[in-house]
Formats: sequence, structure tokens, C-alpha cells
Amino acid sequence: MMNQDATPLPSPLPGLALRGLLTLGGIAALIAMMVDLGISPVALAGGFTKLGVFLLAMFPPSDGGDLPRILKSLLETLAMALAGTTLAVLVAAPLGFLGARTVVGQPAFHFLFRRMLDFFRGVPVLVWALIFVAAFGLGPFGGVIALAVADIPSLSKLFAEAIENCDRGPVEGTRAAGGSRLHEIRFALAPQVAPILASQSLYYLESNFRNAAVLGIVGAGGIGFELEERIRIFAFDEVAFIVLLYMVAVALLDSLSRRLRSALA
Amino acid sequence: MLELRNISKSFGETIAVDGVSLTVARGEMVGVIGRSGSGKSTLLRLINRLAEPTSGEVLWDGEGVSRLKRRDLRKWRRRCAMIFQQFNLSPRLDVITNVLIGVVAERPLAMTLMKFFPASDRADAIRELDALDMGQTAFQRAGTLSGGQQQRVAIARAMMQKPDMILADEPVASLDPGNAEVVMKALQAAAGARGIPVLVSLHSLDLARRYCTRIVAMSKGRIIFDGSPSELSAEIVDRIYSAGANRNPAVHLAEVGAAA
Repeated sequence: MMNQDATPLPSPLPGLALRGLLTLGGIAALIAMMVDLGISPVALAGGFTKLGVFLLAMFPPSDGGDLPRILKSLLETLAMALAGTTLAVLVAAPLGFLGARTVVGQPAFHFLFRRMLDFFRGVPVLVWALIFVAAFGLGPFGGVIALAVADIPSLSKLFAEAIENCDRGPVEGTRAAGGSRLHEIRFALAPQVAPILASQSLYYLESNFRNAAVLGIVGAGGIGFELEERIRIFAFDEVAFIVLLYMVAVALLDSLSRRLRSALA
Repeated sequence: MLELRNISKSFGETIAVDGVSLTVARGEMVGVIGRSGSGKSTLLRLINRLAEPTSGEVLWDGEGVSRLKRRDLRKWRRRCAMIFQQFNLSPRLDVITNVLIGVVAERPLAMTLMKFFPASDRADAIRELDALDMGQTAFQRAGTLSGGQQQRVAIARAMMQKPDMILADEPVASLDPGNAEVVMKALQAAAGARGIPVLVSLHSLDLARRYCTRIVAMSKGRIIFDGSPSELSAEIVDRIYSAGANRNPAVHLAEVGAAA
């Protein structure tokens, strides 16, 4: 026979049995988890009924006669996002240069620095907000610091990567003309990464404007605070109004920032 | 006077420059020729210490430059202006700022980092640009210029350095023939006006013959010919460019790697 030396194919039967067992085990585990978490059809139906009631209560949306205060809170949220992002960019830009392998050529430093950024990047903005609201008291200040601190690690990493991807030609040109490391950054790297930095910062501003509402709910002021107050007293018509207003504001900021970013590209 | 004494450079196992000795006097225009990977680029980079020699010495007027550090090293680099194949300008900065980079080694750090340059420097920069017929582009972004124009800006930057010599590494290799002539003439005129020597690596034998007063040919990291263009016989040219004249294509890669 031609293929008598070939490895014999294993019988398909044991594999099939194993797969059947795994599937059954998976289903059993899933059911056990649902029971443990209290996910029952009864609870599901009850929850959706309540949601339906809330939804009905949202119509028609109403400003509850508090429009000036809502608008002021919306502006406060925008201000928080702006201040938080600006603070983050101011800190992340120099950190980005420190973290770029092509600027600081010490492998050990680079490794530790990047791991440190990764570590802090793992902390969600909500956790920072809880910590800073506890430290600085209720109000936007804690929120601004939380947004900034949450953004610094990931922005620094993005900046560092943009810097590493720069064309080395201008750097060498500056060095050969007698420029120092700082001159290389100033004249060769900074002009190349500035548009990328600006574009990424705008993107973070958009995302922070969206996140800032959540921060209000944990006590950091702004539109989130207004929302939280009304959800607590079941004023769903006003909740609906604020959410709609907020959606329009987010869309406006997004399109403005997108236009700015494409102008920078 | 520039003097190289038995200078060598290896990148790991590959030897890019192998015991080269060479003196270059004022007013000379030395064309360095040879196949890719013969060590031309590395030789030029060893002079301004963009690459550090493995052994041997570079001297200027009898004084070694290998031990210069920090500010002194930067001043040495300022004195041996370099022109690159890819111009190496900062494309998003305007032309005049690119030219002003030529003085940063000699001005206070804080001032230059704020892009503040005295009026006399700015006037000098415009004058250097005008000499190359590039004055009208002074406030344009360098990246908007054509290759030939960018290389002339690079020459203006080099001249702004008030150099004692010019190192030009394949200055016309990425230009069309017409622009190549313009740039070679500009280089010749700029160096001639100051009487400073030029070391220029060239792919084109024809350009080397027409513009250089002396030709140095390299093969496998060594100098295999050093003489006037008229002494460069067909037989020697054959030896320079014949198959196998190259030690190892990896040398070329190593040179590119050193640039990155």
C-alpha cells in the first residue's frame, strides 16, 4: 500500500465524545452561574416592566422649569472636560518624550517607565473620581483631577509611540549641525508630533466630555449631578430632557473636534 | 587640515571602514566613490562622529577630536557641516528656521529653544539663502519645496554653521540630473568662496570627475585609489565597480541602520 508508512489517523470517536462532554459541562456551568447571580425569568420580566414604566414617564421630556441651571451644569461639565484634558496633555507631553525609546535610550528605564504607565492605565476613571472626590470634597475640582490622572498614562503612551515613529532624518540633521538633545526635540521631533498630539488630545476631549457625566453621578458636579438628583426622585421627564440635551451637546463637540482633527491631518 | 589616522569602524562582525588614513587640505574638493557598502558613508560619519570609530583617530590641525564631549563635540560638529542624501530638514518648520539651526551650537540654549534668534543671525540666514537663490522661500515650510530646493536650503544651513569643512553624503543621489548639477555647483561655489575643503561621496563617476579636484575610491572599507580625476584610468574604474569589489552587502545595511 502506498501510505502504509504514514501516521495512522486517530479514530474520530474519542474526540467527538470529549467535545460532547465539554459542551454539556459548559451549559451546566452557565446555568449554575445564572442561578448564583439570581438571573431568573421572573426577575427579568419584573425589571423590564419597571423599565417600561420609566420609559413612559419620560414622555414628554420637560426641563422642569430649571433650564438655566441645567445649561449651567452642562457648561460646567464641558469646562471639567476641557480643564481635565488640558492638564493631562500638559503632563503627558513631556512624559511622552521621556517614554520614547528614541529620545531616552536606556532600555531598563524605558521598560520600567512603560510598565508604570501600564499599571496606572489599569485604574478606571471612576475609581480615580471616587478617590479624588473623597480627597478634595464634592464638586468639579475632584472630577477635573480624576479625568487628568486617568488620561495621563494612556496619552503619554500614545505620545511616546508617535515620537518613536518620527522620521529620524531631521533629528540627524539637527545633531550634525551641532544641536543638543533638546534641540533635536525642539526642532526635529516636536514639529513632527505636534499635529498628532493635537489630534489625539481633541479625541480625548470628546471622550472626557462623555465621561464627565458619569463623574457627576459620584459627586464631581456638572450635568451628572443634575441627572443623579432627578433619577433618585423618579423625575424621568426631566431625566429624558437632560439626556437629550446632553446627546446634542456631545454630537456638537464631536463634529467640531472631528473637523479640527481633519484640518490638522 | 583634516587628517584621518588608520581609522576603522565595525558593526558587529562586519567591517565598514578598514584602517583608512587620509589627509585633506584647504580648498580641496574630494570625491569619495565606490559601490554601495564600500564604506563611503561610514567614513564621512566618522569625521563628525555621528558614528564612533572602533579604532584610529580623526585630527584637525593636529588635534584629535575623538575625546570631545557634549558642548565641545557639538561645536566640532558645527565646524564640519554635513549635507545628507535626504536633506534632513525639518519639513514642518519654515526655511529660515531650518537655516538658523546652523547656529544653535554657538547660542545660549534657552534662547534657541524658544526659537529666538538675534536679528543679525536672521539677516545672515537670509543672506545665505539669497546666495543660493532661495531667499524668496524663507518663510515657506521646508516640506513644501522640491528636492533640489530642499538640498539648497540644507547647503544654506551648512554655510550658516560657518564650517571649516563640508561633508556631503550622496548629496545628489535622490535628485534628477538637472537639479544634481545645480546642487553640485552650489556646493562647489559655497565651499570655494570660503576656501574650505569638501568631502563628497558620489554615486556618479561623471559628477565626481567634473566637480572634484581629487578622487578617493573605496572598496571593502579600504582606499584603493587616491589621485586626480585625470589619473583615474578605465582599468582602475573597472576594479572599483567590478563584481566582488564589495566586501559584504551587510555593510550597507549597517550604515543605513546607523543612520536610523
